[in-house]
Amino acid sequence: MTRNKDTISRFHDRYSLPVTDAALAVEKEVIGANVGASGYTTVAQANALIPELRLRPGTLLLDVGAGRGWPGLYLAQETGCRVVLADIPAPGLATAVKRAREGRISDRASFVRAAAEHLPFLSGVFDAVVHTDTM
Amino acid sequence: MLRACKRLLRPAGRVAFYTIFVPSGLSQAEYRRAARAGPAAVTSRGREQADLLRSAGFTGVSEIDVTEAFLRTTRAWYEARARYAGQLSEAEGEASFRERQRDYRLQAQAIESGLLRRALFVAERPR
Repeated sequence: MTRNKDTISRFHDRYSLPVTDAALAVEKEVIGANVGASGYTTVAQANALIPELRLRPGTLLLDVGAGRGWPGLYLAQETGCRVVLADIPAPGLATAVKRAREGRISDRASFVRAAAEHLPFLSGVFDAVVHTDTM
Repeated sequence: MLRACKRLLRPAGRVAFYTIFVPSGLSQAEYRRAARAGPAAVTSRGREQADLLRSAGFTGVSEIDVTEAFLRTTRAWYEARARYAGQLSEAEGEASFRERQRDYRLQAQAIESGLLRRALFVAERPR
């Protein structure tokens, strides 16, 4: 198995795990979020992205390697922008879909199962692109 | 991937990303240790991310180092998960839990040794 396939498989397995109360408590303590994230982007660091990407209502943001939707859905929630979440592991995207519904931003969030190297979008359509530790 | 990002952006569109990388100038042995200790996606070496962004055609490239925060967060994951070890082991499986804890420990050591860095890079597609 290649390193890339191994990574995808590992994240598929990780996102397939239920998000337990213990996992949420740890996440809240470590990065300040409680969405099932397991990376290194804190809430403060997610907030720093807003001015850098000039996000505002109507902006179209692409989150590459979106996992369970952190920070893409959070950025959409905070700024009113629209967001497209792209990643390969289906369990992560399934959780993100659920979170978007719970956060009442389903009308501004889209989900695409695709690899970062083969993103199936037309050229020049996004106002901003974000990714966190996916390369 | 950066060229793909540039293609997808409209003119004056912006890209921002946090990334973990191996700094330039390490020996082969240090690089191998860094690659083993970092997340699986860590592959960059030699050419800095800022240079890669410029090569891909981006302008206004900026870099903000967040390595200290990266170390704090790595330690925090390890310590907080250790406090919830029983519940997390049950959910993740004992072997998987132990493996992740080992990975956080090795990663913290590699950051402390200067073998891994994390930074926020921001750039713009030319108008």
